[in-house]
Amino acid sequence: MGLKDKYILKSKDSWNKKKTWHPLIMSLVLVISLAIIHKAYWVSTTETNPDEIWGNKQITKNGNNWTIDFEEEVGDSITFKGILRTAPKFEVYRNDTFVPGKYSEGEALVYSEDLYGKTMLNVSGIRILVNDDLSKQFFVSEIITIKATLVSNVSTFDNNGEIITLVREGWVAEAEDINLSSSKDNYFFTAELLIFFTGLYLSLKRVTNLREQTGLVWHLAKFELKQGIKSPRMIVLGVIFTLFIIGMGWLLGDLQNGDPESAFFVQNANGALQQLCFFVFFVVSLAAIGVSVDSFHKERQANTLNILLAKPINRETIVIGKAVGLSLVVGIPALVAQILGLMFMINAGDFPSLSGIIAFIVCGQIMIFTLVCFQLCFAIAARSGTDVVMYGLGMWLLFAVVWNLLIYAISFALGIDVTADDFENDPKFQSIASHMGMLNPGYVYQFAVGLLTHRTLAIDLEGIPGWLILLALVLWPITCLRTATKLFKREVRG
Amino acid sequence: MTQNLLKIENVKKTYRKYNLIGKEISKFSALNGLNLNVGKGQIYGFLGPNGAGKTTTIKCIIGILEADSGNIIIDGKNIKGNGLYFKNKIGFLPEQVGLYGRLTAKESLQFYGGFYNLSDNLIEKRGKALLAKLGLEKDSNRRVSEYSLGMKKRLALCIALLNEPEILVMDEPTSGLDPRGVKALRIVLKDLNKKGLTIILSSHVLTEVQEICSHVGIINNGKLIREESIDGIRKEIEKKSIRLLLKVKDFSEKISKELAKNKKIKSIKQKNNGKHEEITLELKEENIPWITDFLVSKGIQIFSIEPQKNSLEEIFLKETGGD
Repeated sequence: MGLKDKYILKSKDSWNKKKTWHPLIMSLVLVISLAIIHKAYWVSTTETNPDEIWGNKQITKNGNNWTIDFEEEVGDSITFKGILRTAPKFEVYRNDTFVPGKYSEGEALVYSEDLYGKTMLNVSGIRILVNDDLSKQFFVSEIITIKATLVSNVSTFDNNGEIITLVREGWVAEAEDINLSSSKDNYFFTAELLIFFTGLYLSLKRVTNLREQTGLVWHLAKFELKQGIKSPRMIVLGVIFTLFIIGMGWLLGDLQNGDPESAFFVQNANGALQQLCFFVFFVVSLAAIGVSVDSFHKERQANTLNILLAKPINRETIVIGKAVGLSLVVGIPALVAQILGLMFMINAGDFPSLSGIIAFIVCGQIMIFTLVCFQLCFAIAARSGTDVVMYGLGMWLLFAVVWNLLIYAISFALGIDVTADDFENDPKFQSIASHMGMLNPGYVYQFAVGLLTHRTLAIDLEGIPGWLILLALVLWPITCLRTATKLFKREVRG
Repeated sequence: MTQNLLKIENVKKTYRKYNLIGKEISKFSALNGLNLNVGKGQIYGFLGPNGAGKTTTIKCIIGILEADSGNIIIDGKNIKGNGLYFKNKIGFLPEQVGLYGRLTAKESLQFYGGFYNLSDNLIEKRGKALLAKLGLEKDSNRRVSEYSLGMKKRLALCIALLNEPEILVMDEPTSGLDPRGVKALRIVLKDLNKKGLTIILSSHVLTEVQEICSHVGIINNGKLIREESIDGIRKEIEKKSIRLLLKVKDFSEKISKELAKNKKIKSIKQKNNGKHEEITLELKEENIPWITDFLVSKGIQIFSIEPQKNSLEEIFLKETGGD
């Protein structure tokens, strides 16, 4: 039998073994196909690379006659899809924001009084003049579609004593031609979610003894919760961590009232909430180590695991039950700490958005579950309690302490000058930082809260679209849990 | 003919060790084509030297380990793919009993009973009866961490019997128990067996196996080398020669040859401490009266005669290549 035939046979065999998950696999294939269609829809109906069009404009300086030309014809209309790079509220022309008759190189126009009350949007690099004040209608990082028309006008300006005639082409739009991309995205995302959950439901229906094993998950989880919550170690850790989070909450609230020039100034309540996320992550990741040490290693040492394995319970159920139980052991005190921290933050500062508060709590619990599952992987694979603690501390140091240093190192390796002033505002650096952040559950938590403080999911946070953040929020716990169950199941082969 | 409740067919199991990149660095074959039958209602004693594969076999039966190949069939059904179904029918008592120290006996029973989908009332009712049967009733509200080893074993047995299993699998059940505990356990097991429970136990204590079991299987190097009922073994023992250990003086080679020639009696000289010699004679039981007369007539001074019955130990050592 040739290599190709062997591979086909192996694949067929593997596919047949996964009969239970066929509906889910097929639904995922459909979701991916729909996602491709989704992308194709935007590519075919909008200009998804506005920066290129803006970059291709020709500025010709012929003595005192300057022209700004685009490749498109005057009167052409294009629907652009892009990210609002700056907040519209800062881009509204007011009579105290410019001197009429002056030429702006960045915006490629001459200021005049008829610009008052209009907004110059920066949509993924292209400048589009909107004949309206868009403050509080749209916000920075939102992904929008905007139908703009190329127009031409002539103006003059003084260029160091010389009068220059500028024949300029530029893009203009009306306020009613701007929409959030989520107005179309939602149809695709809803369809994708429906397909996914249908596949998942059909697959779960094929799982034998699902109801019984789910019951056993809760039975084991309740047991772990009762044991864990009474443990002196957890009581001490809980008190210390709660006080820490409360302290940080109060501090972040207070810093909202501080000096705006200060490096520690917190701009607004939503920003403070995101920073509080980091501190919650900082302490619960340590708590996750604390609870996971005894989860498998102690059971092996005390020989309680063999009696448990002889009971009618799947190995996966044991892992999931412990994960749920231990997440509750950390999550319930963490919930109290989160609420108290919030209260102190609000008391000292402003009130964050309601969606942000809900995200802070709910995503926080998801993050706790992720960290517990992560630690369980070590607890299952390690052969001693010391190993569990060392691996756990190593991961905590990496994710909570030295992650930024890692970003700087990688940015430097990719050619960014990290010694320059203000390098952190370099879009390239921000893109690296945000993409790497997807590999850190703490950052994913912060991003998710940041995303959900907005009114729409059609957001791009420094190169990471909103849907990707939510996908990461879901994939992290699933991946960690799946790895833990796989590691534990592997032991049945001896 | 007793119906087979458990049938192990050509089961193989190899333990493998891998390095970080997944390359196999060592392997050990624990089971090499094991075949074994346990009938319904038997108490089956599973014997073997250390490393023979007893614990591996037990772990495969109860589903903690998966065999690499072969079949384990319980009541006509293969356990592959039906693990949970069979775990409901099997009770397990491990050698090293691990229980949660902070729980009381009652709480332990409630916890483990929860895995069998039994109602709290039923768990309480059965638990109470089992604790009473095993002498733990008055200690049922004490924490397990305060229990002695014997008490823990009895509690673990209660847990194993909570779901009224059809098969009870026990790994070295008498290990760590005092003689009183061993006797109590023996009585309980025999009582349970009378009520229809099939018991499989592995043990090193051959006298216990002889006392408790109805059938014996001897395993070595991952294979079953002998399977017999205890009655069959007893008959074999009776057919074999009896050994007499004698402390004598002046036992010569000539007498040894004479014994072998006349009565086919084998003599083995063990040691000579100057005062007397230790000689072991292998002979049929009917020759015992004759031998003493013979030796005395030959002028042999007899200081002591000790009969040494052939036992299961002899058979075990012979089958497993020990001496």
